[in-house]
Amino acid sequence: MGKLLAVVKREYFERVKSPWFLAGTFLGPVLFGVITILPAVLAMKQETSKGLTNIVILDASGAEIGARVRSALSGGVQSSDSTSVVLQALPQAELAAAESLVTKEVVANTRTGYLVIDSTVVGGGKVRYAGRNAASERDMDIVRAAVRQAVLSTRLTAAGLDPLKVQALTASRTEVSTEKLDERGRGGSGIGSIIFGYLIAFLLYMMIALYGQTIMRGVLDEKMTRVAEVIIASVKPDTLLAGKVIGVGGVGVTQQLIWIALGWAMITFRAPLLSAMGLPDVPVSLPSVSAGAIALLLLFYILGFTFYASLFAATGSMVSNQEDIQQASLPVTMLLVFSIIFMQPILMQPESSLSRVMTMLPFSAPVLMPLRMATTQVPAWELAVSLGGMALACFGAIWLAARIYRVGLLMYGKRPSFVEVLKWVRQAS
Amino acid sequence: MSEPAVSIRNVRKAYDGHVAVRDLSLTVMPGMVYGLLGPNGAGKTTTIRMILDIILPDTGSITLLGKPHTDVATLDRLGYLPEERGLYKKMVVRDVLRFLGSLKGLSGAELDRRIDQWLDRLSLRSEAKDWGKSKVDELSRGMQQKVQFIGTLLHDPEIVILDEPFSGLDPINAQALKDTVVDLKTRGKTVLFSTHLMDNAERLCDAVCIIAKGEKVLDGRVSDVKAAHASRTVAIAVDGGTDVTAREILADRTLVEEADDQNTFFEARLAPGADAQALLARLVQRGVQLRRFELVQPSLHQIFLDKVGATGVERGMSGHG
Repeated sequence: MGKLLAVVKREYFERVKSPWFLAGTFLGPVLFGVITILPAVLAMKQETSKGLTNIVILDASGAEIGARVRSALSGGVQSSDSTSVVLQALPQAELAAAESLVTKEVVANTRTGYLVIDSTVVGGGKVRYAGRNAASERDMDIVRAAVRQAVLSTRLTAAGLDPLKVQALTASRTEVSTEKLDERGRGGSGIGSIIFGYLIAFLLYMMIALYGQTIMRGVLDEKMTRVAEVIIASVKPDTLLAGKVIGVGGVGVTQQLIWIALGWAMITFRAPLLSAMGLPDVPVSLPSVSAGAIALLLLFYILGFTFYASLFAATGSMVSNQEDIQQASLPVTMLLVFSIIFMQPILMQPESSLSRVMTMLPFSAPVLMPLRMATTQVPAWELAVSLGGMALACFGAIWLAARIYRVGLLMYGKRPSFVEVLKWVRQAS
Repeated sequence: MSEPAVSIRNVRKAYDGHVAVRDLSLTVMPGMVYGLLGPNGAGKTTTIRMILDIILPDTGSITLLGKPHTDVATLDRLGYLPEERGLYKKMVVRDVLRFLGSLKGLSGAELDRRIDQWLDRLSLRSEAKDWGKSKVDELSRGMQQKVQFIGTLLHDPEIVILDEPFSGLDPINAQALKDTVVDLKTRGKTVLFSTHLMDNAERLCDAVCIIAKGEKVLDGRVSDVKAAHASRTVAIAVDGGTDVTAREILADRTLVEEADDQNTFFEARLAPGADAQALLARLVQRGVQLRRFELVQPSLHQIFLDKVGATGVERGMSGHG
């Protein structure tokens, strides 16, 4: 026990003390944020700037619906920026000609789109929108709301209500916020939990890959400097292996805890921070994560890390130089990368049989199950199978790795073949 | 009599059809300096690694201080210096030593005190410079070997096992190592070391085991081994000029089986049944100017050559070095 602790302490403190850990811990989130958040921000920026500006309303209703739509789109007041939404009131007969003209403008990219309000609309006819942003659900929501509001107030006015009163009554824009709800209760906004799940899965993948390879390089380094022989004259190879997995895994947990603390601080003190920078406070809806969910995530990380770290350590013990290690570790890396390929399909269809199988297979479960858990309610038995399978796979991986490790640590020279490695396993047991 | 420090019984180890160690048995009594001798590839390192439970023997048993060698607590009473030496290059020397000490069950102030003591003793720490605070790769090779040596002895082990300890040492460090071995012995520790350098072994060891091709050739106390091979070898020194006559006499195969001619010095092994007295009489009779005529105990090197044969020499053996 004391020896295990000595190994754990060395593995842990030598890494946490290194400047690379500090750099990774504090620059990592910045880089990660830039990679993941920036495209989203850019996309959103694009959406608002291009979205509902520069559109034409062709109004043949003869009942000022177009003007009302325009005012609703500009936020209730007559916009001073008359180029953003152009109103063109015209008789029904000229509608077709005007429409084909605007269509050309949209094709030529001088207009974003146009709205056609014909004379039947007040009586219950349809309003049509055509444009480059017609696929944007967000834009169309706004158009729909504006048209409904305009049609309603036109009818109310026609029914004899005071126009000012109608304006005041219909101008309120009620937004519907969405929230995911399941047997466990509230799960935060739908889109929020997908992004959250994606982040978690990617983070788990990164941590397992990064720290798994850290162990692999550590083992090779001990072998290359020949310090390994001194160590295993004092410590059983199994203890050394366990110490490495715990020590390096602990570095990963430390890093994650720092990130969680940083994230918490950012959200808690966001308002003063933003106002200090002169930016308006934007509400962020974060999925509420229970302590149970965090514990479960940690369990997935620990099991997944142990599985991959053991295999990576065994790989490190098989080779004798830096050149061979990339190639030798390919099978293990492939196994891990393989799970990343399935992230998209699982996000799209979390209940498909492919998703269910992939989240129960021990080698892909540590990354994919947390992802699926964020998007859907996973049955308890599937969770149990997933965790149980991973635990079993961990035992298998440790058993195998300890045997390869014990023999490999003292083997120098050319990279062993698969058959030779099998011989080692037999030899050590 | 107390229990053997190291006892190996009928141990065998084979790799892929090649037998590294074949039915080897040896006993090292406590307080002894024991040499495991043999040419390269004889199985010395494999034997040592099996003692330390780094490699599992195919058959046979090994005990340390009366307990099975797989006992973890017993391993703490051992100090081991492997042939291929190395340390964590990027670690601070003191941290490396703390780590090695803690692997042997040391901790806290006691560990630090011992590290200081050793750093002082091997002059790695002085008023001017404390190498303990430097990283390992900032040290010279000689200094790194000292650090490794400290790591081996930090926990004051009862049994010290050194694999080819003299390889790669400069004369000053080699002398320091010999002094340390003597010091360990006077403090009642057991030292087992392997070497292919017979001169070192002859001077340092109380007992030896010579192995070749994985098999024991002979073992026992050095004095016993020598006594068993004694009085068949004569050291002869002559004055220059008359050596032609001396060579004629030494070429007589009824008297001398083999003579090692070193110009004015000969080491002659008597032929079976021949008598040293007769050889002396012949030399005096023919007027050879003798400066020395002595029945000598053969060197371990000579015994080794007799036992293993010249093929062992060609395959990487060096007698004097």
